[in-house]
Amino acid sequence: MTAENLNNQQGQFEPKIVGFLCNWCSYAGADKAGLAQTPYPPNVRVVRFMCSGRMDPQFVLQAYEQGADGVLILACHFGDCHYKEGNFRATQRHSMLLHLLKQEGIEEQRCRFDYVSAGEGDKFVQVVTEMTETIRKLGPLHKQFISNCEGDS
Amino acid sequence: MKIGVYFCKCGTNITEKIDPERVENEVLALPNVAYCKPCEYLCSEEGKTFLEQDLKGEKPDRVVISACSPRDYERTFRECVANADINPYLMQMVNVREQVAWVTADPELAVQKTVHYIRGAAKRVTLQAPLEEKEIEICPEVLVVGAGPAGLKAAMALADSGRKVVLVEKTPVVGGMPVRYEELFPNLECGPCMLEPIEAEVFQSKNIEILTLSEVAEVVGYCGNFTVKIRQVPRFVDMEKCIGCGECVTPCPVSTPNDFNCGLDQRKAMAFALKGGLPNAPSIDMKACLRAKGEDCTICRTACPVEGTVNFDDQERIFERNVGAIVLAVGSSLYDCAAFPDLAYGKGGDVYTSLEFERLLSASGPTGGKVLTRAGAPPRSLAILHCVGSLDERHKPYCSGVCCQYAFKFNQLVQHKLPEAKVFHFYRELVTPGKEECGLLARAMAHPHAQFIRYGNIADLKVQAAQGTNRVRYPDGGAECELEADMVVLCPAIVPSEGSKQLAAMLETGLDKFGFFDELHGRADSGQSKIKGIFLAGTCQSPKDIQGAINQGMAAAGYVLSQLASGKKLKIEPITAQVREDACSGCQICRGVCPYKAIGFDLDHQASVVNPLLCHGCGTCVAACPSGAMDGNHFTMAQISAEIEGVLQ
Repeated sequence: MTAENLNNQQGQFEPKIVGFLCNWCSYAGADKAGLAQTPYPPNVRVVRFMCSGRMDPQFVLQAYEQGADGVLILACHFGDCHYKEGNFRATQRHSMLLHLLKQEGIEEQRCRFDYVSAGEGDKFVQVVTEMTETIRKLGPLHKQFISNCEGDS
Repeated sequence: MKIGVYFCKCGTNITEKIDPERVENEVLALPNVAYCKPCEYLCSEEGKTFLEQDLKGEKPDRVVISACSPRDYERTFRECVANADINPYLMQMVNVREQVAWVTADPELAVQKTVHYIRGAAKRVTLQAPLEEKEIEICPEVLVVGAGPAGLKAAMALADSGRKVVLVEKTPVVGGMPVRYEELFPNLECGPCMLEPIEAEVFQSKNIEILTLSEVAEVVGYCGNFTVKIRQVPRFVDMEKCIGCGECVTPCPVSTPNDFNCGLDQRKAMAFALKGGLPNAPSIDMKACLRAKGEDCTICRTACPVEGTVNFDDQERIFERNVGAIVLAVGSSLYDCAAFPDLAYGKGGDVYTSLEFERLLSASGPTGGKVLTRAGAPPRSLAILHCVGSLDERHKPYCSGVCCQYAFKFNQLVQHKLPEAKVFHFYRELVTPGKEECGLLARAMAHPHAQFIRYGNIADLKVQAAQGTNRVRYPDGGAECELEADMVVLCPAIVPSEGSKQLAAMLETGLDKFGFFDELHGRADSGQSKIKGIFLAGTCQSPKDIQGAINQGMAAAGYVLSQLASGKKLKIEPITAQVREDACSGCQICRGVCPYKAIGFDLDHQASVVNPLLCHGCGTCVAACPSGAMDGNHFTMAQISAEIEGVLQ
């Protein structure tokens, strides 16, 4: 399925976003939004890690290559990481990724890092809604990056 | 490969939004999916029985359960899968209830999203590998380091439950700091009296081996199986033979500053650290003893009525013990008041730390419990300076938690001993949490001779120490004020004890930014270190009062008893990191990022090695490995990659 397939009935672009969520805080936050039955855009597809520290930058690049228009990385707040400092490592890897994405001409808004605690269902909804809007405005990820990746592989 | 998909309807919770037939049709078209069965409440007893029976009949190679959050039900369904003789790690859950049905307004989009997720799970589960929970034998014995209130209670609780305990104490006596306090807040209970029964129980217990004058010298191994070397410095008195009569002490010709009384008086080279302390045997301070200076003094040995008790040839000893768990209860220290030159501490005047003042109040202290200045006179006035270093960004930003309370205890005791003396409390904040703790504050406030003066910054206070009295200058509004105080008592911040750093390095438990032992979780698990099998109790983890220290000691004992149950094997969680030795470049980046020190290095093979017992399975090392040599069980590169591909298709 391509990005075009996702255009909704009004012909509006519907972005595909992959969300990498840590098990203990942000995934629990997403569950909280569920318990509260707060609707949010269905564009984010969540992939669960035990810790945001597991977020290998390669996964982000893979997501773009395979059709994601944006990537969300959600972690515990500083000091709350179940594994002490995995979220700190994730921030470091995210900063590195932004440099890399810049070289590829990918807007940094397409790779958002944020903190969602287990209690912050509302924040999860807010972040997902904002991210969907942001990527909708940016439009589909340009094909050049995708062909570059294909060329590399 | 045969994948079986079970689609839980959860009553109408899921099917209200998501049409199971449409999901079934789409899912059946996915590679390897042999069937997709919509079911009623899968987590109910009937649901679980159905699942187990159905799995036994269908015998799929992999299972996908589309239901609710794996955070709530993964364990339940893993059990069902295992009951059907399928490895539980060959099952993947899809969270349709919390993360699709309940949050997606449009039913069409909800169906699409569900199919994306099931596709991701089906792709992932195909690559999932069976994992086994391994079990290892554990050593049930426990090492407790530090014999203050926390360590004593932990040791006693463990011994009561039948565990053998090695209790290591650095000083010659057990009891920790509170045996130095004549009275304890909030109820003015006698410190030694509170602790002596506990000490006596510990000494009588057949399950506790007490090693005083001892420190941990080396630790190897891991949770369930540590080998510990303990170094004991010589006491020069055989505790087996000593009857505690003290005949050896009186004739000793050498005097030396008495550390137990903070150097406020002298002790003999041969002396009891604390009269009435346990073990009831004196020790020789060899640095002060004439024998160390080459003289052949044998006065103490001659005076001893039990032959062979005093042994000048006593040597340092190393004890080796095997233990399954370690409880650290090494206590804390006071912030060095030399950091405040304006407060004139150590400049010859009557300026004391709170600990020194505790000794002046104590019947076993240098003045026999009389509050006297260095000149030997009762003070007419005292200034108590709270928050010396606490709540101060330039020193220690945290509140030490106990200073206000002992300061008001001092107020009470001074009022009792010297009814006419004035007490000035220079405070920054007043902190007395707890149901009993407000009493002493209320009494101090009602005390006609007590005055409360609030300051904003300790640097604004200046103490001028002089013979006879001290002058304390402080700002009041715009004006500079001054008052006289015959004694000044400083309440320094509680800081980590001197040996914490070395001990933490040896055990590889981290220290927090202040140097206290780092807990696994500040609220949920403050009694555990980040290293499995090493537990924390008392002020070595954070400043706290005696009640808090004792509770944490009991908590540490509870952790040991529940995590290392005697006679049971220790389960090793299979979701851990793993190194492919042939791909490892030996860069050791993984070791640097592991928060649990779970990764060692095999010098022979020049490759990292994960200790699955210590690994918590976070995967930080996997993401950090530049060679792709590290992978995480159940969260492998290939599995996650397949899931990403699946959800995006």
